[in-house]
Order: sequence, then structure tokens, then C-alpha cells
Amino acid sequence: MFSKDAIKLYVMGISLLALTAFVFFRENTTDWRDYQAEFRDLVTEKFGSERAEQVPSGIQQIWVKDLDRVDRCVTCHQAIEWKGLETAPNPYRTHPKEILEKHPLTAYGCTSCHGGQGFSTTLPDAHGNVEHWEEPVLGQEVSEAYLIKNSKALMEMNCNSCHRYDRETKGMDYINTAKNLVEQKDCRACHTINGRGGIIGPDLTYEGDKPTEQFDYGRLTGRHAVFAWQVAHFQNPKMVSPDSIMPNFGLSSQDAQALALLVMSWKKEPIPASYISGVQLRDVPTPEEIAKEKEMLEGDGAFFVQNKCFVCHSVSSLGVNSAAKIGPDLSDAVVDVQNRFGRTLDDFLMDPTGTMSVVLATQIPLTTEQRQQAIALLKVAYQRKLEQQIKNTSPSPTPAGK
Amino acid sequence: MATEEISETKASSSLLATLREKFALRAMWEQLTWTWKPETKREAGDAIVRNFVLHWFPAKVSLESLSWGYSFWLGTISAVLFLILTITGGILMFLYVPSVERAYLSVKDLEFSTSYGWFLRGLHRISAHLMVAVVFLHMVRVFLTGAFKNGRKAVGQNRPLNWIVGVALLLITLLLSFTGYLLPWDQLAYWAITVGTNIASSAPVFGDPTRFILLGGTTIEQATLIRFYVLHCFLLPLTTFALVSYHMWRVRKDGGLACTEKRYEEAKKQEQPAIASKTYSLLGITGGSAVDVQNVMIDDENEKVPSSPYLTVRLAVVTLATTIVSIILTLLVRAPLEEAANPAVTPNPAKAPWYFLWLQELVTITTFTVGGITINGALIGGIILPGVLVAAAVLWPYFDKSPVSSIGKWLPTERKWQNRVFLIIVAAILILTFIGTYMRGPFWEIYMPWQEWEQAPRRF
Repeated sequence: MFSKDAIKLYVMGISLLALTAFVFFRENTTDWRDYQAEFRDLVTEKFGSERAEQVPSGIQQIWVKDLDRVDRCVTCHQAIEWKGLETAPNPYRTHPKEILEKHPLTAYGCTSCHGGQGFSTTLPDAHGNVEHWEEPVLGQEVSEAYLIKNSKALMEMNCNSCHRYDRETKGMDYINTAKNLVEQKDCRACHTINGRGGIIGPDLTYEGDKPTEQFDYGRLTGRHAVFAWQVAHFQNPKMVSPDSIMPNFGLSSQDAQALALLVMSWKKEPIPASYISGVQLRDVPTPEEIAKEKEMLEGDGAFFVQNKCFVCHSVSSLGVNSAAKIGPDLSDAVVDVQNRFGRTLDDFLMDPTGTMSVVLATQIPLTTEQRQQAIALLKVAYQRKLEQQIKNTSPSPTPAGK
Repeated sequence: MATEEISETKASSSLLATLREKFALRAMWEQLTWTWKPETKREAGDAIVRNFVLHWFPAKVSLESLSWGYSFWLGTISAVLFLILTITGGILMFLYVPSVERAYLSVKDLEFSTSYGWFLRGLHRISAHLMVAVVFLHMVRVFLTGAFKNGRKAVGQNRPLNWIVGVALLLITLLLSFTGYLLPWDQLAYWAITVGTNIASSAPVFGDPTRFILLGGTTIEQATLIRFYVLHCFLLPLTTFALVSYHMWRVRKDGGLACTEKRYEEAKKQEQPAIASKTYSLLGITGGSAVDVQNVMIDDENEKVPSSPYLTVRLAVVTLATTIVSIILTLLVRAPLEEAANPAVTPNPAKAPWYFLWLQELVTITTFTVGGITINGALIGGIILPGVLVAAAVLWPYFDKSPVSSIGKWLPTERKWQNRVFLIIVAAILILTFIGTYMRGPFWEIYMPWQEWEQAPRRF
């Protein structure tokens, strides 16, 4: 009995060892390793072995914290930012440069525009045409399935996540067409979109979030997909939902596809405001503040407003009022400078000391001519101030007094 | 040439010999590996009792206890699976983040970027499913062999109690698996727990409070996740460990496996009745004979073998075999990970974990409409029926009046009817589980295994 068991034990032990070796083998023979090796060969061939040694190995990823995305696409697509591989076969092709200049990889990753499953390190999972992943790479494969000639058109849906409030965006022809159609056909007559519009039809602001299960595919031939449903619905609303009162606009299939992409892009995605095109992240002056500044710009003290002197100084006799009033009123600078620094205004402004030396050296670089202009204007301001003082103190001509 | 070689080996062997002598290599090695070396068989036996690991086992075990065909070693396999789960689970705890925002992403990382993450997760998942199955089979084995029955009147024997501990362990195993089911935080997890906890809430009076306590609120959210996580990684494993230890200890206290009872029965038949004559117990104050005199004494030395190596080798074989099967299944079956949990989208169909699908089927069967009023089966199918089954299981040993001779035998004629009833219940559970797992499609309609389900809609 024992010797039989001992044999079993040896057999089991060896089997477990073999299995462990197999697990090790499987872990270390992933496709991405092959792609990386092939890329290194390509680089060696084109640029020499020295460059090839610089190619990073192991799983690569772009982590975009702001968009909560981890994109491991660059594990295989290693040439994205390389120069000179513009015509290489994928996955070793350089990404078109222009679009990356405005949308750097570190800030956008890959999947926020292209779709696909960024976590993945295997091809079918990464390209996302798999079960349980709803955002496939919007490229050739899906385009061909829908007979769309321009394989980049579908991607515009993702672009519109950030560009949804643009009227027109460069390079987004489908979405631009669709946005035009929304205005032309006046979809807002019936539908609310982004908080504006009618209530006859459903609110479309977040139409892109509607779950796939909530569409009736019963009258749809072909693929049971939201995109297919939307296209069919735009071309003939009553065909897919007989109870619909939406008119048939006689749209071409391309227009219907464009509109389908537009409505599917309307999602409630957690995108930081800084990513959304057209959203201003700054304090805008109120209309009153703008009017006041405009008025000051037209007065005699325009020089002090234009050159931002008024940020700290008022020149009240010339109608310039500083909001902050950090520095003294410059109306009597002619005497004030003399009192404070023991120098004439001309002398001081040409070679200032203290705070003014810092301000004029860094923030308000005035040329010699401009300084002379300032001195002349300040002298006028003082003159003006004296005149105003005389006017105020001289007895008013009151008939009763005489 | 040849002579040179010989002289060289001679030189090296003599060098080794001098090294041995000089540094007392053997003594050093023995000092490092043995603190003490047995001189006699008696001392060797003592050594086993004194060894921390080996003292779990008796010094000697009977051959029938060791047989493959009696117990199928199902209890041992369960314990090995629990060990695998503890090890893989311990590592997974370093990699998984129990937060609603990160849980799903951390499981995706395990699948795609953590070294051996796919393997750890797959092995943990497969072992968990296997453990549910094996613990259930262990229970079936114990029932069919009547191993929950007390046999010879031995001091402290209480097999029914150990059976109840076993039932508790089965329930805890289910709970362990159920709590682990939620952790990936995908659609599968979210909706399985929704179905499961909704069944729990249909219990009268205690239903809703139970669900509230389980979920830490009224919806499955962060509070639920952390509750399930702590239960899964800390409380339930600890309880399992304690109960398994007690379970094992009781097996020893109950006189070993039930199959050894037969031998006592046979010996009893051959034994001459004890002579009720003079005994030297208690200085003759009491009548009768001493305890030992009534006990059947059997000289089983011939039929027993030392635990080490006979038991330990088989244990090693079972441990390795279980590990191998788990690993092979891990390599063959990919652990699913669906879309991230979305409370707004109910998958169609939404299913409980597979081991609760017979309950979900019972709920379906017991839900019917009479004259426009729908009776919800959740109470009958989800609470009362399983409740009755668990209660029956707990109480069964106390109502089983079959003779002692039926203990420790597969399907004995004396327990024919009991086993038939039990097997019918087991078959019903298995059939319902099969229907729920493989034959329920969208809208909970019956689909034959060869029928294709309706195409699941996609975005593109």
C-alpha cells in the first residue's frame, strides 16, 4: 500500500511541478511580449540597435487621473510618439502629430478618444469587441460593420464628450453636420437638449446613457445594437417604434449616422470642467466693471489705465479711480514724491527706488518716452487738482450774501 | 590516464572524509535537522505525539479509515481547498481595494496587469466553487453511510453533534462564497447579491431587518461592500477555522471514522460475555464490573498501520491532487468579469450564485397566480423550504433509529428508506440547480441547452 501511495505521490508531485511550469510559461509568453520584441526588431532595422535598447519593456500604461483612465494600449502601440514610423504597420505606427499637440497623451490617454478597454493587455479584450465591454475601439472594424467609409467618423462620438457645447469643431465633420441638423430641423421644438427645448418628445440631454436593454430591437433587422437602432430610428421613426409621433425627416443614411453619433455622445460623464471645450474657468468682470474701465480709458487719464498704473494708484483729478488704492493718489505726485523721497518727480520716475523700482522693472516696463509722458501727465494732473481745489474753496456766488 | 583519474577521485574522497572528520559535518547536519533522534519504536511513536504537526493524527490508524472508497477523502479535500483559498485570498487582499470606486478596477488590474493576478483570482474562484460542491458531497457521503450515528458506547462519543457542526460548516461555506461573490463589483456580483438578499428579505418579521443588517442600508452600496469584505476576509474564515478544528477534534473523540464501528460490532459477537465475578474496582464497594470489562477489547494492532507514513502520504497525495485539479480547472475556465456594477441596469436574466439557483427555482415554482392574486414564492421557496431542510438535517440524527450495525456502510439495507428520501432531496436540489444554471434564459424563460438565447444587445 505504502509503495503504491509513494508512486502516486511522486506522480502528483511531478504533475504539480509541470503545471507550475506551465503557469509560469503562460504568464511569460503573452502576446504583448511578442509585439514588443517585434517592435524592437523594427527599430533595430530602421534606427539601429542603440535606439532599440531604449525601447521600454514590460506593461506600459498611461494613467490619466483626471479622467479616471488607465490605458495600457501603449504596451503594444509603442511608436505613438516616435518620429519616422508614420507609415509603419500597426501597432507600430506613429500617431498623427497635429491632434496630439492639442490632446497630449498624458492628459487624455488613448481610450477617451478611441474607445476600447484600456485595462486590457490582450488584443481582443483591448479592442473591446468582446462580451461585457460596451466601448469598442471605434475604428475600422466597427466602421466596416456599418458600411461607414470614413473609419475615423465613429470616433467623433467620443470627441464630442468634451466638445458637446461647441457649435462647430475642426475635424469633426459628422458631429458638425449633426449639430447643424439639430438647428435646421429644430429638434428642440419637441425635445429638451442641454436644458433648452420642448417637452413633447423625451429629454435627450443624456440620451447616450440610456442602457442598451432599454431599446426595443424587435423590428430591427441585423445587429441588435443601440447605434443600429438610432440610425434606423432617425431614418424612419415609425418603423422601429410604431407609436412614435416623430416625423420622418427623410434623412440620408450618412445624416442619420451623424445624428446617431451625436445623441449617443450625450452622456453624463465625469469630465473635469477644464476638459470641456467652451467652459470658462475664470472670473469674468461684471458689465458695470467693464463699463467703468471703458469710461476711464476714454478720459484724460487713459495712459494710467492702459499701463495698469491704476491697479494700485488713483489719479483722481484725471478721473482715474483705483479699486485697490494700494499706493497714494498720483494727483499730487509732483509734491508728494518730493516730500517722500526728497527727489523731484522727474528724477524719481527715471530712476525709481523701493516698490516702484520693482514694479517698473518687472510688471510695467515703461520706455523712456513713456516715462516722460507719465511725468508730463502727472504735472497736468497736479495742475488740474489745484484748479479743482481753488474752485471748491473760492466762495460761491450766492446772491443772498451780497 | 585511467590511473590518474582514480587517484584524483581517491584524493577528493579522502579530502571529503577529512573535512567530515574535522568539522563533524554529519553531526552538524543532524544538529540542524533533528533536535532528537528516536532509538526505539516506542520513542518513535512518542515522537509523533510530540510533533506539533503530526500530533493531529493518532499514532496508528486502521486500514479502512485510509481507504479511498469509503470516505473519498471529501472532508480532507474541503480542508485542502480551504487552505488554498486562505493562501490565495491572503495574497489577493494585498491587491484588491474594497471600495465602490476602485474594487472593479482593482479586479481588472488583477486580470490584466498584476503578475499572476489572473491565476490567483482564477484559482481562488475555482477553489471556492469546488469547496461548495465538495462540502456538499461530504455531507451526502456522511448521510449515506450513517456516519452521524453513535456506535459502541464509548466515553464522550457524540457524532450527532459533529454532524450539526458539519451542517453549520456547510452554511458558512455558502456564506463565504456568497460574500466573496460581491467583491468584484461587476454586474454579475451586484445582481446576484440583489437576488440573494431579496430572498432573505421575504422572511416574515425578520426579513427586512436581516436584509438591512446584511446590506448596511437599503441599497447595495459602499456599506455593503465593506461588510461583505470584512465577513469574507476575517470573520467567516476565522469561524470556519475554529469550527473545522473542532470538527476534526470531534472525529478523534468520537472514535475515528464511523467505518471502524463495524469491527467493534464483529468483535462483540465473538467476545465471550464478561464474567460477572469478582472485580477489583473501587475496593468492592459497588456491584457490577468495571468500565473496561464491559468495553469490547480488540487486538487491532494487526489491522492498524502507523500514521506516519501511511496516513501522511495519503494526505500529501490528496493535497497535491486537489491542488492539481484546481489549477487545471483554473487554466481551463476563465473567471468572468462583467461590466462594472450598475444599479440602473438589470441584466436579463439576473441570477443568484449557482448554489442558490435551486432556491431561485423554488421561488419561481412557488410563485403562482390564483384569481388575479399573485402569491410570491420568496417566502415558501426562499425561506420556509430551505429552513425546513436545514432544521431536518440538524434533527435527523435524533430521529434515526436504525440499528448500530448500519453505521459506516455505504447504502445499508437497514437505512434503505432514509437514504431514498435523502437522495430524492439531493437529486431535486441538483436538478433545480441545473435548470437554474443552464436552462433559464432571458425573462426567466426555459431554454434547452442547445437552444440559443436571444442576442444580447450592444452599443455598437
